[in-house]
Amino acid sequence: MNLSVKDISKRYGKVTALNAVSLHCQKGEIVGLLGRNGAGKTTLFKILFGLVKPDSGQVDFERSKQKSLGGIIEKPGLYGYLNALENMKVFSRMQGLQLTDQEIKLNLERVGLPIERNDRVQNYSMGMKQRLAIAIALLNHPNYLVLDEPFSGLDPIGIKAISSLILDLVSKDKIGVLIASHLVDQVSAISDRIYVINNGEIINSGETQQLIRDHSPFYTLYGSNIGESQCLKKYQAKLFPTKAIVQVESHKIVEILKELQHENIEITSCVPEVDFEKLFDIKA
Amino acid sequence: MRHLLGVEIYKLVKQSKTYYGLFAIFFIEFLVVLAAYYQGNDILDLLLVNLKDSFYFQGSLLNGNLIIYLLLNMLWFHLPLILMILVAGTLTSEFKDGTLQSVMLQPVAKWKFILSKYCVVILFTLLTVLLTAITCIAVAYIIFGQGDLVVYLGTLNFIESSMAQQKLIYAFVFGGVSMVFFAVVSLTLAVVLKEATKTWIVAALFLIVNNVLMKFELESYFYNYWFFPKLNNSWQLFFYTEVPMELIVQNALVLIGYTVIFMLIGMALFVKRDVG
Repeated sequence: MNLSVKDISKRYGKVTALNAVSLHCQKGEIVGLLGRNGAGKTTLFKILFGLVKPDSGQVDFERSKQKSLGGIIEKPGLYGYLNALENMKVFSRMQGLQLTDQEIKLNLERVGLPIERNDRVQNYSMGMKQRLAIAIALLNHPNYLVLDEPFSGLDPIGIKAISSLILDLVSKDKIGVLIASHLVDQVSAISDRIYVINNGEIINSGETQQLIRDHSPFYTLYGSNIGESQCLKKYQAKLFPTKAIVQVESHKIVEILKELQHENIEITSCVPEVDFEKLFDIKA
Repeated sequence: MRHLLGVEIYKLVKQSKTYYGLFAIFFIEFLVVLAAYYQGNDILDLLLVNLKDSFYFQGSLLNGNLIIYLLLNMLWFHLPLILMILVAGTLTSEFKDGTLQSVMLQPVAKWKFILSKYCVVILFTLLTVLLTAITCIAVAYIIFGQGDLVVYLGTLNFIESSMAQQKLIYAFVFGGVSMVFFAVVSLTLAVVLKEATKTWIVAALFLIVNNVLMKFELESYFYNYWFFPKLNNSWQLFFYTEVPMELIVQNALVLIGYTVIFMLIGMALFVKRDVG
């Protein structure tokens, strides 16, 4: 059974936080929920976990297990006066799990946390707190992991590490992951499908690469001698010594890359530049 | 539920603020004993100046029993104040740190979680009162010895030493019921207000208003026998010449009733309200 929400609506007084939101996520799939701050992502996740009651709509997922959903909402809520092992003990005991220290250490290692650290969690970096929160979320083997802004406050190395961890969990354990974030690049890099939410409504959705292509009017091409390219001039590209910005439709980019190859220009990367205004504000 | 109780006890034991609170209580005890040591005889002389002309008092009236009685009078304001702050903190800190949200993401029933909080808070309060009683009695008897107790409750009441000990222990037992009431009220306020500073202010206000109302003398049956501010002062009834035991038991039961009502209100609100 998929994790799905159907026609969820929620109002706070006169403010509509969510309006008929529907989405789904399968096991073994990473689904991104993109939206600006205040778009309704966190409210939706709180409804998923039953922390907030929706005005209408329904949440469906397999409830046969003791814990079907694990997750983090807003920030890793950890007991700062306890160390990582003690936090794991507290969260596992409260759900009736009797894990040995060795089993807990294995869980910590699984998310890449150093098991030799005994100091309080309040001293940890945000990345380490995120990892510990993920380890706690994974207790009791949930079918789905729901992560709200998991990249928030992380440096590039931290983002890379959390992304790798999520990919690793999906490939090894075949769990479904639902990630909410305002960071398009990070979400698009790991998710299979994306929903875009704005002002409490899903305004775009689809397969990640297709959605990015459809909302990327520009491409930035990187290459050591790209500034010398002749073919790019006919596309009215903005040329710089090592990069070029070109506005073309997505199907044209392959053609351009071939032409650049003929010119013996070595392209190191081709990055679609998402039009955020278009992605977040205009209904598809 | 057993696991949740264990977790709540573990969290309470691991937090440094628990020990700060206990230290504060024992520091107040120490101050009262110190004050009594240096000024107790002067106060007693002032109180008994007329009686000393007519009566002969055997032994020192500044004894352990009087010190414990003085401590009881002082503690029944300071102890609930510190307890209320500590107890409120067990929930408001969970709201603030986001740990409550993390707990609610686990397969934990809301009612079980809040009930375990109430249970641990009650247990902690009773243990604190017990510890306070033990230290009070031990310190007072070691430093001041035993002797007859003289208390002023409208008139001067003289109580023999052995009887005084018994009455003081009963007073601590009733005090335990009273402290549990304040602790439960405090946790309920934390459920309602969620934020630490707001909860502390309202809890302190509750305690002060309770103490003010306790001093009021009204010709109202409800006010005197069913309203909680008056009930909290029932421990003083043990020190009357004729102890109204039935009234004390009734007051204790009504106070327990109030405690249960506050607890049920807190639980209902916690379960009904959204988290976050």
